[in-house]
Formats: sequence, C-alpha cells, structure tokens
Amino acid sequence: MNKKNALYRYSGYLFLLPYLALFGAFLIAPLCYGLGLSFFDWEMISPFPPKFINLGNYEEALKSPYFWRALWATIRFVIMIVPSVVSGALLIAVLINNVSPKRESFFRAAYFFPTIISISVAGILWRWFYNTEFGLFNSYLEHVGIRIHWLSEVKWAMKSIVLMTLWWTLGGAMVVLLAGLKQIPDQYYEAAAIDGAGAFHRFFHITLPLLRPVLLFVIVMSIIASFQVFGQTFMITRGGPELSTRVLVQYIYETAFSNYRMGYGAAMSWLLFLVIAVFSLVQFRMMKER
Amino acid sequence: MRRLGNIITSIHILLCVFLLVGCDLGRQPKISIRFWNGFTGPDGRTMLKIVKKFNRENPDIRVLMQRMDWGVYYNKLFVAGIGNRAPEVFIIHAGNIERFMQANFIRTIDDLVASENGIDARDFSENIWSAVEKNGRHYGLPLDVHIIGMYYNRALFRKAGIVDEKGEPKPPKTREEFLDALSRLTKDADGDGQTKTWGFVLTWYLTNLYSLMCQWEGKFFTPDNDRCLLNCPKNVEALQFCVDLIRKYKFAPPPENFDSWIGFRQGKVGIAFEGIYMLADLERQKDLDFAGAPLPVLGKVPAAWADSHILCLKTGLEDKKLDAAWRFMKYLSDNSLDWAEGGQVPVRSSLRNTERFRNMKIQWEFARQIPYIRYVPRVPFIFEFGLEFHVGVEKALRGTLSPRQALDEAAENVDKVIERRKKMIEENRKPRP
Repeated sequence: MNKKNALYRYSGYLFLLPYLALFGAFLIAPLCYGLGLSFFDWEMISPFPPKFINLGNYEEALKSPYFWRALWATIRFVIMIVPSVVSGALLIAVLINNVSPKRESFFRAAYFFPTIISISVAGILWRWFYNTEFGLFNSYLEHVGIRIHWLSEVKWAMKSIVLMTLWWTLGGAMVVLLAGLKQIPDQYYEAAAIDGAGAFHRFFHITLPLLRPVLLFVIVMSIIASFQVFGQTFMITRGGPELSTRVLVQYIYETAFSNYRMGYGAAMSWLLFLVIAVFSLVQFRMMKER
Repeated sequence: MRRLGNIITSIHILLCVFLLVGCDLGRQPKISIRFWNGFTGPDGRTMLKIVKKFNRENPDIRVLMQRMDWGVYYNKLFVAGIGNRAPEVFIIHAGNIERFMQANFIRTIDDLVASENGIDARDFSENIWSAVEKNGRHYGLPLDVHIIGMYYNRALFRKAGIVDEKGEPKPPKTREEFLDALSRLTKDADGDGQTKTWGFVLTWYLTNLYSLMCQWEGKFFTPDNDRCLLNCPKNVEALQFCVDLIRKYKFAPPPENFDSWIGFRQGKVGIAFEGIYMLADLERQKDLDFAGAPLPVLGKVPAAWADSHILCLKTGLEDKKLDAAWRFMKYLSDNSLDWAEGGQVPVRSSLRNTERFRNMKIQWEFARQIPYIRYVPRVPFIFEFGLEFHVGVEKALRGTLSPRQALDEAAENVDKVIERRKKMIEENRKPRP
C-alpha cells in the first residue's frame, strides 16, 4: 500500500521527465556552459586552448564602444517598438472585440496572419517594400512627391525596422489581449453604462484595470523579445548603414560566429541577459505596487 | 472495413519506401563525397550541372552538393569542422584561407597535384597559385579567379559621344579619359536640377576601394602584419578621389540615396566596377546594352581586386575517399570552362588560351587584368578587417567623417584586434606556471 502511494506521489515527476530532460539538455546545460565559457578567452579556430581570464571578457565589453553602440541601438529599438506594439495591439483588440462574432474571426485571422510568416520571408518581403527605386512604399509616396530612403539613411533605417516589426508582431500581442478582454464580465460594462459612464470612462476604469495582468504579460514578453531582436535587422539591413542598426544580438552573433571569439560572445550574452532581467523585474514591481 | 483501409495504406507507404530505397539496392556501394559551397545564385545551377555530369561519368562515386548562402556558409563550415563533420570537399575564398589553415581544417594538395593523376602546376598563373601557398605547401586547388572589372552602358556611351573612329563605344583607360567620360555621361535630361543619368556609381566598397587603393599604391599592413596601414596617405588620397566624384564633381550619386547596382541595371548609370560574377545578373536584363573592359588606371599603377574560389579537402580522409575526392576536384578544374560560362574566369592558362574562352567576351576582357590582380591581404582577422574597411569607407562617402578621419578610425580598430591577438599568442607561449 505504502509503496503504491509513493509511486503515485512521484508519478507526476515521471510525466514531467521527458520535457525536463529536453529542457535540461537543450536549455539549462547550454546556458551553464555559456556562463562558464564567458570567463574564458577562447578563439574557436585558434590553435590555443581556452584560457581562464576571470572577468576579462566582461571588462572588455564594458570598455568597448562597439558594445555600447550595439546596446544603444537595441535600446532605441525597444523604446520605439514596445509602446507601439502594445498600444496598437490594444487598440485593435478593443475594436475587434466590438464587432460581430462572425467578422471577429476574420479580423483576428487577418491581423494574426503576418505573425506566422517566418522572419526570413518577412524580411525579404519588406526589403522589396522598402526598395528606394521600385519598392511598394515609394511607388505610392511618389504620387505625393515624397521619396524616402528607407534603409540607406541613418535617420530612417531603424524606424523602418520598427515599422516592419510592428506589422510582424502586432497580431501575436493582439490575440493575447483579445483573450484577456473576453474574460472581463459584461455586467461591469452594463452597470457602468447604467451609471452613465461613456466609452472613454469604461475603457479607463473597467477595461484597463481588469486587463492589467494580461497587459503586464504582453509588455514583459514584448520587451524581452525586443531586446533579442536579430532576424529583422540581419535580414533587412545587416546592421547598416554605418552600423546604426547593428543590435546587440547581431554583434554577439558576429563576435562568436564570424570572429569566433566564443568567450567574449558568451560574456556579452550574459550582459544582455542581465539587462533584460533588470527591466523585467522593474516591470513586475511597478505593476504589483499599484 | 476500416482495418482493410489501414492495411491498404500501409502497403502503399511500404511501396513508396521501397521505391525510394530501391534505387540504390543491388548496386555496388558508391563512395559518397559531400561538396559544400555558397553558390546560391545562378552559379549554383551551373555547378549543379557539372556535378550531375560528373556523377554520370563516374558511376562509382556519388557527389552530393549542398549550397548555402555565403552569409552563413562560413559559420556552418567552421562549426561542422570543429565537430569533425566537415564535408570532404568544400569551397572557400582565397581571402579566408588563412583562418582555415590555422584551424588545421584543410589538407595540403601538393602530393596530389604531383601524382600520376595530377595537374601541371605551371598551368596556374604564379600570383594565383601563390594565393593558396604557405611555407611552400599549397592548401587548395583554385577553381576560378573572379576579378573586378568595368561594366559600361554602351547605349549611354553612344548618346554621350564617347566613341572611337568606328563609332563604337570607347571605354576609358586613364584617369583623364575616365573623368571626361563621366562629365559627359552625367546628365540632367529634363533640366529640373536633378541628375537623371549618373556617370559612375560605387558598388561594393571593399572591391571598389581596395582596387583603387592598390592603384594608388597604398599599403594595408606592415610586412609582418603587425600594424594596420589602412590610413596611409595614399589610401586616403584614393578615398578622397571617390568622395570628390560624389561631392565635388557630382558624377556619382551619394550612397545614402541610390541603389547602385540596380541603378546600373536600369540604365541610369554609365559605368560601374563590379565582379565578373555579376555578369549573369546583367545578361538577364534583356534591354541593357552593356560591355566589359579592364578597370581604367585612376591611380598610378594598374590594379584590380580579385578573389578565387578554392576547392579544399578535409584533413584526415581515408585513401578511398581521398582518391574519389581528388578525382572530383580535378574534374571540376579540367571542366572549369563550363564553370566560366556562368560568369567566371578559369585559373588555368591552357583553358584561357582556347577559342571557347576567347568567345566569352566579357570574361576575356576581365581576364586581361590577371597579371596585376590583387587579392585582399591574407590575415587571420580578415572578417574584422573587412568590416572596418567597409564602415570606414561608408562614413567617408556619406560625409559623416573626412576620409582621413574615417580611415584613422578604421585602422585604429583593426590595430586593437591585432593587439589582442598578439597578447593571446604571447600568453600562450609563456611556460605554464
């Protein structure tokens, strides 16, 4: 009896085991390996073995102008993309929530569609859209006499990347927010309507407060994903012009896989992790306090 | 009933599997050779044809070719090499060979070249054969040499009156002729103050500026690769010349608002310097009347950037595989005129001295530059150098920095890389405590 009980108690872990094994082998183990690596100076293709240099890699990163430029490019991206994705997704979710159920599924699918396209396809597509000579955008803008050099001017390149990302990720955030909206009971709105609250008040005093946990989730996930931006810039601008769109992940990628400096790359990855962790913690704090 | 359906489906699946597997049943085992390269453009189709032909003619060998984009190719090749899963035969660019030598990934081929089924090494031009040499040993078989050259738009030349006595478009050969041609080609057809046809456009900065800096006799490194000399006055002068073409003479469009190569393809540009490998791209443009010629001498001496695709062998191959792989490499080399057809120049002079090659007009024109082609410096930090070179030139051409400042900055950054590597080597030489 006792034995059976014990078996019963541990059977849960047994079910978890397959996932945990994969999670451990492909996430936790490489993570630890990377952490270890970040304390070594190791050029993968050099004849020399890895050499322990303590915090040398971290020191080099913090002193390197390229690291700071890449971090700054990343932060600029995050600052531009997160508010636009969250507010845009919220707006569309609220609008979709108010159309008839039949149309709702159409709009939901339509807005979600770009999200399922892989980044390489989306990147190539948008490179065509942005083309100065025969791109979609400029061919429309030409009618009003404007010509924008979307990708080749420093002041436009990052904004173009943001616009493309907005199109690509809006749908995902929107679906989550829409699910959150559905969970808000109708009674609240009815009661508020009876009390004479307008649409504006209903949104700010019912929708927003009740949506907060979902909103927090979307914001945090969006920040984390945005800090890790790579595919867009790599596909569309390769970091140019003048390295203005070389984000941190691309710099890490180049360091590790073009220049083969594994230790330095790993150290910068951990610095990026720290930045993301700090931002996420602050976020959670801020949302909890209220 | 449902069960019967299941059985029928299973039989079908089994049949399909057998059909697929069956292709290889009952024959003697083939030696399979994996061949990796980055030929994802039209060149890949040309290569595939040659590989298929080889497989047909050599029933005991099966070459499996895998193509991937150059942008990620080297990363994958390195990772495969480190995991000891590198393909038997692979292509690398001459400029990258130093890194692969260092990592001990590639086998020297001197014994194979000298063997019974070998190749006469004298057939290679000296400067090309030495591009794969280190300490007297050769690390790969050059398949081609892709040289930069001058493409020019014949229709625009005629319109601008840049023709010889017979009325044929006449490509410029000297700096004076070049500047004169540009001033005639650059036109504002409708007089609205906006240039409609440009004389010249800079395409890929590395190939364009490297060629010009070599023409100005600039240096890139000290002889022992101890310091970067990218900012030497001659290089600055060459870069200043290009900046002047854009800012002072206004013969070339500013890089921040012009799609250079597409502009040439669309017939908006008179002259562009590009590699021979862009030929296939131009030939698809049916309405473009273009021709090719050697680069004009804009600096003091003739010089033109070039690179080569090198066929390399993995180290540690067993005899059977080695033999098969070498046969394949030799076949590619022997048939490199087929390869040249798609926009390449063969490295073997016996192949270049044929009627067939002479009929490939543009390839033949570009090949005339072989005596003075210049490979990029062979340093193990070529990726870092390439990036700094590009960013430096970009900043100068866009007017963000002066040529002097831009190249100073680039050289300083490359020096940092050299410094770091020197330290690494020194520390590894120290006896361990």
